[in-house]
Amino acid sequence: MAVATDDETIGGGGGFFDFLGGLGSYLMQPDVLLPGVVGGLLTGEAYGRLSDIGQQAKLGAETLAAQQLEQTQFRPFTVTTATGGAMDTQVTPEGAIATTMGLSPEEEALQQQLLGGAGTFFGRAEQPMGAREQAIYDRMRGVQRPEEERQRLALEERMAAQGRLGLSSAAYGGATPELLAQQTAISEARDRAMLGAMQQAQAEQMQQAQLGQAFLGAGYIPQQQLLAATQPAQQLAALQQQAQLQGAGLFGEATMSGLEAKLIAEQARANLLGQTGTGLLAGALTPRTDNSLIASAISGLGKFFD
Amino acid sequence: MAQELQSINLVAPAFKGVNTEDSPLAQDPSFAEIADNAVIDKRGRIASRKGHNVITTTKTVLGTSSIRAIEEFRDDAGNNKIFSVGNNKIISGTTTLVDETPASYTITADNWKIVNFNDKIYFFQRGYEPLVYDNAGGSVVKLSTVSGAAGVASTMYGNEVLAAYGRLWTADFSSDKSTIYWCDLLIGHDWSGGTSGSIDVSKVWPDGYDEIVALAAHNGLLIIFGKHSIIVYQGAEAPATMSLVDTVAGVGCVDRDTVQHTGTDVLFLSHTGLKSFSRTIQEKSMPISSLSTNITKDIISALQNESEFYRTVYSPEEGFYLIAFTGQNVIYCFDVRGTLENGAYRATRWVGTGFTAFSRIADGSLYIGTTSGISEYTGYSDNGLKYRFKYYSPSLTFGDASRAKILKKLKPTLIGANDATVFLKWAYNFDTTYSTAEFTVGTQITGYYGESEYTTVEFTAGQLTSQRSINATGYGTSVVVGLEADINGAALSLQEINVMALIGKLL
Repeated sequence: MAVATDDETIGGGGGFFDFLGGLGSYLMQPDVLLPGVVGGLLTGEAYGRLSDIGQQAKLGAETLAAQQLEQTQFRPFTVTTATGGAMDTQVTPEGAIATTMGLSPEEEALQQQLLGGAGTFFGRAEQPMGAREQAIYDRMRGVQRPEEERQRLALEERMAAQGRLGLSSAAYGGATPELLAQQTAISEARDRAMLGAMQQAQAEQMQQAQLGQAFLGAGYIPQQQLLAATQPAQQLAALQQQAQLQGAGLFGEATMSGLEAKLIAEQARANLLGQTGTGLLAGALTPRTDNSLIASAISGLGKFFD
Repeated sequence: MAQELQSINLVAPAFKGVNTEDSPLAQDPSFAEIADNAVIDKRGRIASRKGHNVITTTKTVLGTSSIRAIEEFRDDAGNNKIFSVGNNKIISGTTTLVDETPASYTITADNWKIVNFNDKIYFFQRGYEPLVYDNAGGSVVKLSTVSGAAGVASTMYGNEVLAAYGRLWTADFSSDKSTIYWCDLLIGHDWSGGTSGSIDVSKVWPDGYDEIVALAAHNGLLIIFGKHSIIVYQGAEAPATMSLVDTVAGVGCVDRDTVQHTGTDVLFLSHTGLKSFSRTIQEKSMPISSLSTNITKDIISALQNESEFYRTVYSPEEGFYLIAFTGQNVIYCFDVRGTLENGAYRATRWVGTGFTAFSRIADGSLYIGTTSGISEYTGYSDNGLKYRFKYYSPSLTFGDASRAKILKKLKPTLIGANDATVFLKWAYNFDTTYSTAEFTVGTQITGYYGESEYTTVEFTAGQLTSQRSINATGYGTSVVVGLEADINGAALSLQEINVMALIGKLL
């Protein structure tokens, strides 16, 4: 007998092809074939529908994302101040946000003047101090010299009256005590003038630097004021953006709710269809007698899917 | 009727010294027209000067030259040494003269000024590097060779040097007649460090220009003598702060060697005669009285004719100030013990002495330089040779210049002049041809205890006094009486001359 043969083949270790041959023979029986085919078709249909549901969900999500991307796009805006300055925002073709600020002609002229002054002051602060020190020293000495000359002449007269004009003492550097004292005083005045000139030059340098700093700071005030003037507009833009984002979120949620409902329905339909097909297929494959061949086939199929 | 002889007694004739300034007729008989080789002795009489006794026995280094300056070196340790200059050499010693001139140091003039300062003796002469000697070194060396010497340069090779107020001061340089340099305190060889210094007084002269001739220190003052003006600085103890205190115009000093300190004053010879610094400062405005008022013209003449050196000395022991005009071999002797009514010193004249240098040494002896070397002013002969004492009165009119005077007798009273030959002279009417009477003073041998008691004399008969009565001749309205004597071993003083004359008719 064939079955026996088959059993033998199978039982005898005839291989996978022998098993397939036995299975095919079984399946070709009429009471197995029809329910089996219908069940299989239904199951396949259920399978196909589940696949379509995923595709539709993906497409819906992508559409939703595109819509939300568009809904959340930055909206450029422009701010114009009362003094004529303006700030303009733009989205570049690449998607970046470009901001341009412009001052009024008067503000721009003032800014140029202040920045130019700052440059001038900084330039002066960078100048070597030697020449300025010399100039200050010369002015100080110019003030001191007339009195020194008067004192010198008075001393000369006193010394002449005392017959001391031609006196020279090694102890006083070849001069006289009073001449040495006078020269010392002059030297001290000269030293003080020199030191004062240095300090004055440094103070002036510091002053130039501070003036440069002040001018530099003042030069940017129009711009700072423009920026300050844009603050309310920026807040409004932020509110708008927030509302925009919120609307897009609501839109997305609503859209996703529909999609999810549809997915659930489609999934339920697919499951029902699949259950029907599964039932038919299970009936078709349920053995009506004790047939070892079928049992072995099923057993072998079970092994195959293990 | 025969007239009575009038006796006119010239007591202590010439005790006021020589007076050649006043009219002979108007003169006080106490003046003398001539008083040669004379001094005013301790009793105010005119007397013969002392002679000199040559100490030097070996004077090879001097050759035929004369000693031109003498100074005694003394230091605190008691060392002393007599230095002199002459024959272009620096000489030491008194009996044997030793050449002390430093090696490779050429001298062509003997116009040195020598001063003691801080245990050293310094030699200064214009254009010559100063020399210095001290007992430790034992030899005269150039100032620049002294250890620590500084600033010794030709600019300070002065002709005048003064040791005063702890410093050496020098002036009168070859090309600078207005600057005075002083050395560091007590360091005579440091002329550029410490408290050394200088002063140019060219802007101080009261007459606008003068040249420094001499320096002197007196009463805290630095006296700077110009040729015809004097400037005085006070506070010279600290020269850096000294200041002009006085100036005198019109009176200067003719030579640095005429300046002598008398202890209370500074004497100097100006171009108008001998002056006193103190009186010059006191009187200041012209005319300034002169200490040589009575012989002013003689002094001026001597100044004008002098071709060599002036040498002076002040001797408190002898009480005189001598000034020698070496080129004329004339010395004027001023008695500094007192002044006359006109403020002048009593002056006498020494001629033909050959004295060319003086120095009073520490013991009070007066050393004299001559061609024979160094002498001491002592005795009454010039190294054994006699010298002539002369006295001539001014023209005497006996109170009436219009009447003839017929001299009958001259009765001089002489003190001393042992065994001297005396020439009594008289002339009339300003004639310079004198009538002369000669006599010899008696002999008196001094007996000394233990020497002559049993030989020539037993004792000395006291002061020898000679009174002679000489018959005079001739007549005239004015009379000059003179007395000359060769001094040769004994002093002579003229006590008085009693003139016996008849006053004749009007001429």
